[in-house]
Amino acid sequence: MNNIALGQYVDGKSIIHKLDPRTKLLSLMLLMIAVFLIPKPLNNSFGRTASFIMLGGFAVIILMIVLFTKISLIKYLNSLKQLAFLFIFTFIIQLLTPQGDNKLLLDLNLNLSIVGILIIIAWIVLFILLRKFIPLKLFVFLGLTCLSIYLLTYDLGFSFGSFKLKLYEDGLYNGSFFFTRIFLVIMLSTVLTLTTKPTDLTSAIEWYLHPLTYLKINVSIFAMIISLALRFIPTLFNETQKILKAQSSRGVDFKEGTLKEQISQIISLLIPMLVISFKRAADLADAMEARGYIPGAPRTKLNIMKFGLSDLFSFIITLIIFATIIIIKVI
Amino acid sequence: MKVRFNNVSFAYDEESVVLKNFNLTINDGEMVAILGHNGSGKSTIAKIMMGLLEVEKGEIYLNDKVLNMDTIEECRNHMSIIFQNPDNQFVGVTVKDDIAFGLENKQLPREEILNRIQKYLRLVSMEDFIDHAPEELSGGQKQRVAIAGALAMESELMIFDESTSMLDPKGTKEVNEMIKKIKNENNKTIIVITHNLEEASYADRIVVLNSGEVVTDGTPKEVFKKIEVLEASGLKTMESVSIIHNLKNKEYKNKKEIEEALWELTFNE
Repeated sequence: MNNIALGQYVDGKSIIHKLDPRTKLLSLMLLMIAVFLIPKPLNNSFGRTASFIMLGGFAVIILMIVLFTKISLIKYLNSLKQLAFLFIFTFIIQLLTPQGDNKLLLDLNLNLSIVGILIIIAWIVLFILLRKFIPLKLFVFLGLTCLSIYLLTYDLGFSFGSFKLKLYEDGLYNGSFFFTRIFLVIMLSTVLTLTTKPTDLTSAIEWYLHPLTYLKINVSIFAMIISLALRFIPTLFNETQKILKAQSSRGVDFKEGTLKEQISQIISLLIPMLVISFKRAADLADAMEARGYIPGAPRTKLNIMKFGLSDLFSFIITLIIFATIIIIKVI
Repeated sequence: MKVRFNNVSFAYDEESVVLKNFNLTINDGEMVAILGHNGSGKSTIAKIMMGLLEVEKGEIYLNDKVLNMDTIEECRNHMSIIFQNPDNQFVGVTVKDDIAFGLENKQLPREEILNRIQKYLRLVSMEDFIDHAPEELSGGQKQRVAIAGALAMESELMIFDESTSMLDPKGTKEVNEMIKKIKNENNKTIIVITHNLEEASYADRIVVLNSGEVVTDGTPKEVFKKIEVLEASGLKTMESVSIIHNLKNKEYKNKKEIEEALWELTFNE
């Protein structure tokens, strides 16, 4: 939970840090859209090569942006860790789904033998029991899954049936494509949150929403809501940790137990969190009011945004990349 | 700034009447400690003054200007408050942003905001933490930031609403030192709301509240002498005051007897 990147700005003086938040927000949004616009790999080697070259090109651009931020790669990887399951799940689903010309990459005949299944169950139980002590759990689990599949290719005794596991070539290409695409988009959003102060991000959002004021929509209130939410994310996470520890000391185990038990254990965390959040919200409202805050009233700003030459340069490059992808997509 | 409560009554509901015909005058430049146990109505006074609660009966005057819902926005420009929970009043994402919050509401120009941030952070010795996030600060440091934010408003009246009650001894000491410094270096009217007699002892005047009524009012020395009144109001007197009070009622022949009596009183033997 401590690794969550949202609202975790890392102070720095890099070119990316210095960019106007409006430029960063719009450019990174355009780049994210561009990543999604890269055509899916076609059922021929030319189509595949083209898609992967474009994806590779984007990966190089994003890697350059990441290097320009001068922030440790570990920070980026930490934010990706939260979504590792999503990456792998997407990849496996694509791999197992027949697509295009259904050219087989792997065709395995798996035996359902009692001995084999018992060995796999034993591995799973052992993994669950020892998971606290296993480093890189996800990779170990994937390794065990592969090993289990390999084991099932042999008849280990007391076989009662068999089934076919088919992996398709197009599935492999599509899986790798979607995996890389999500990875790149997450990297881009992480660049934004790690190099932009929440207040600057809010100011940029407020600026882009400004036209809504002509429709009598008060965007400053909306911006304040986002700003306060970002401000209180780390505070509420700390609070959650404290409650987790307090409840653990009273015998609540959030990791073990049946589904029903786990739900009731989560309730023991949620109720105090809700009570604390409401109390904090009421106190904060009092503090803001006492300091002269009137929702929707005009305010001056400490942080002003400046659109400089570097912003113009970055924006032009983004537009060129975006336009190129659009042209390729249309052709 | 002169503050006057005239027959003020307030209740959260019909059964819990907090203030009953409350009268109090605080003179310009005076430091007054409002002392009382939990539920005595002392924090309600602060909230009423800041316009966070509306009185049922009576009037409050700030420099002869009546405080009500029509004048509160203007009156808030002359008052600032430091609440008890340092986390729940930290609005900004960084120290700088938090101090700027009130000044932005006042619509001060950016240059003026920056000047005041520097000036008041230096005053509370927090200039090295200007870009720090609240999670990187201790409770005492957060409360010093809140004080800097209140000072930056340059208001004539400062209210400290149990601003040390959630701090550890180090944080409490830091905040109390700061209050003393403000008292000595500025001509501000200061109201310290507390249940701690030691904190109240720095004030020019102490007002003791019990069940929403003033039970005694005077200089710290005058108030501390009324030990029965303090105890009846649910307040724990300072050790030194208890010792003086107990020594007064007995006769001692020599230094040794006094020393023995002091040990006895200190450990309640």
